[in-house]
Amino acid sequence: MNNRIKEYRAKFNLTQEDLAKKVNVRRETIVFLEKNKYNPSLKLAYDIARVFDSKIEEIFLFE
Amino acid sequence: MKKAVIVFIVAALVLATVGLWIFSSSGNFKPADIASFGIMILVVVFAVFFGVKRLTSAKRGEPPEDELSKKVMRKTSSLSYFISLYLWLAIMYFSDKFNYETHTIIGIGILGMAVVFAVCWLVINFTGIKNE
Repeated sequence: MNNRIKEYRAKFNLTQEDLAKKVNVRRETIVFLEKNKYNPSLKLAYDIARVFDSKIEEIFLFE
Repeated sequence: MKKAVIVFIVAALVLATVGLWIFSSSGNFKPADIASFGIMILVVVFAVFFGVKRLTSAKRGEPPEDELSKKVMRKTSSLSYFISLYLWLAIMYFSDKFNYETHTIIGIGILGMAVVFAVCWLVINFTGIKNE
C-alpha cells in the first residue's frame, strides 16, 4: 500500500510534527508512514484523511 | 515519563552492580568476564537510548505510546521469545562442553535474552511493519 501523505502535508503546509499532533501519534509514526514502512490502522488512516479533508482512498493507494 | 524514569533507574542499578563487581574482584579478569562486562554495558546503553527517546517524545508533547510503538513492541517480544528458545537450547547443548557453573550459565542466558531483545527491536524499527 502506497500513500500520498508527504504530498498532502506539503499542500497543507504541515510539518511531520504538526500532523503527528493532529492525529495523536508520535512523529516517528508519520516518518514510517511516509517511507511506506508501516500500514496504518483504519482509525489512523481515517484521522489522517480527515486532517487533509479528503477521502481515505485519495491518500492511501491500495494496489 | 514514568517508564523512562524506571528505565534510567534499572540502567543505573545495572551500572552500580557492574561497578561493585569490578571493585570487589581482584582485577584478574578472564576473557569471559570482559565479554559479559561488554554485553552489560551494551544493554545499559540500549536502555539509556530507549529512555532518552521516551523523554524526548514526552517533551515534544507526543503520546508515550501509539499504535506503531505498541505493534513494534509486540512483534519484538514475540520474535525475541522465539529466538530465546533456540538460545537456551544452544546454551543447554554447549553447557556440557564447557565447564561453567550453573549460575554463570543462567547469567549468560539472561544477558543473551536481553541482547536478543535489543537486536530484534533495532531490526524491526529499521525494517518497519507492513502487516502484509
